[in-house]
Amino acid sequence: MFEANRLLGELTITLDVDVLVGDYPDRDHPPGTPEAVTQTLTANRTTAAAVASLRAALFDMRSGNDEILALASASPPGATGKPSPAHGRPPADTAGVPAPTVIPIGTADLRDPLGAARELDRLAASGVKTVRLFPEEQGVQAVFPSVRHVARRATALGLTILTGGDVRHFWQPFAGLGATVVFLDTHFYHLGDFLVAAADEPGFHTSTRLLNSPDALELTAAELGADRLVYGSRTPHYEPLVPQLRLATSGLKPDEIAAVAGGNARRLLGVTA
Amino acid sequence: MIIDVHAHWGPWFFTMDVAEANLATMDRYGIDLAIVSATEAVIYDAPTGNRALASVLEANDRLYGYVTVNPRRLRDAAQDLRTLLPTGRFVGVKIHTDYTGSPVTSPQLREALSLVASFDVPALVHTWGRSVLDLAALCHDIPGLRVIAGHMGADGYPHAIEAARACDRLYLEPCWSHFPTGRITQVAAAVDPRQLLFGTDATLIDPSSAYGAIAAANLDPKTQEHLAWRNAATLFRLPVA
Repeated sequence: MFEANRLLGELTITLDVDVLVGDYPDRDHPPGTPEAVTQTLTANRTTAAAVASLRAALFDMRSGNDEILALASASPPGATGKPSPAHGRPPADTAGVPAPTVIPIGTADLRDPLGAARELDRLAASGVKTVRLFPEEQGVQAVFPSVRHVARRATALGLTILTGGDVRHFWQPFAGLGATVVFLDTHFYHLGDFLVAAADEPGFHTSTRLLNSPDALELTAAELGADRLVYGSRTPHYEPLVPQLRLATSGLKPDEIAAVAGGNARRLLGVTA
Repeated sequence: MIIDVHAHWGPWFFTMDVAEANLATMDRYGIDLAIVSATEAVIYDAPTGNRALASVLEANDRLYGYVTVNPRRLRDAAQDLRTLLPTGRFVGVKIHTDYTGSPVTSPQLREALSLVASFDVPALVHTWGRSVLDLAALCHDIPGLRVIAGHMGADGYPHAIEAARACDRLYLEPCWSHFPTGRITQVAAAVDPRQLLFGTDATLIDPSSAYGAIAAANLDPKTQEHLAWRNAATLFRLPVA
């Protein structure tokens, strides 16, 4: 009755911008080990993932970011997965399926703007091209000076920014900087606010994760262009199948679906391999 | 066969244009039947919205209707129930606790659900967080009441498990725009499959959210059948095999 594969067709996610390793200490599940996350992504036909560290987000930027850099170094393209009981598309046999390529995403802690700026410098020097911000997890509001400070520094370094937070508030500290930003938490309730903000900001993009109304993807494509949409799942904390189904069954054209499924994100994050 | 027990007909105030999207949305996911409430009735004016929906139902045999009840307007509600239920196209009652300022613990909601029970139709009640436990208490207190916990408490889904166990006339329906990993799996593993229903919140939320979360749970075929349609057909006494 609930046959996802039939609806998904040939959809392949060539880059998921919203993947985390590590754990939330206030939650019992799901497991956030690199192995478990990789299995879930593989089971959901995801070939590359922009991975950030909850250790970096919640506790210590530097060691968490180093964890991500090591993970990326250890996961060369073409490694194969194992049979998986992971969440996601149920019956897929992942044996022999290439494991997803890990794109390292740095994290800047908004609770420490001076330390965040130093960490951004270090990350950029080490070749990281994208930084992720966790304002909700860190109890940081959009009006805090820290957010504007980090936004300016990241933009000056040429980094793409992935940020959580309510887009109705968090558009503001990134406006007027020429920043390239992906808003990871845009809910379709707030799509109108994103559309009017992004109309003035060509660098503003949105994750599709919570754009799960019947016409949010189509409306965004019509108003701004499908190149402003990037697939994000928040694996392993959300079911990847949901945004995949929404995308696969959308009214977007096949080339637009492919772009949203990873092409746009690869361009924004500077992924060439 | 899939029956969506939590759907809507009509426009929304958000930046979206889905007022005419019911059937196309259902078709994308193979949803055969949907039980809908009028958005106008839910958000603003129950009698006016209910009557607008009645005319839509006359022309569409894939949609059944909820009579929306505002617990603060029970005289109107009783009139609507007497008028619309006999048409056979309305098969239950919808009550939104937030839009009507009628929390599950309020006296007017208790009175409204007692009225619903007297008409012997199920009620779909919006629940969030721990309010699903309060709904279970009402279900226990009101003889004959059959009630659906809409959204099964959303982020309060662990409480929904306790609620369903507390009253076997309480049913769980999972729609939510968020879809945390394992939510469906946990609930289905702990609740009698005869108390599970399928709902989407379409056309506000695309069916991908509920459908995808259920598909990811990889439920056994019998549980899927109960959830997809069998329980709904029994609960609403729908003429489906």
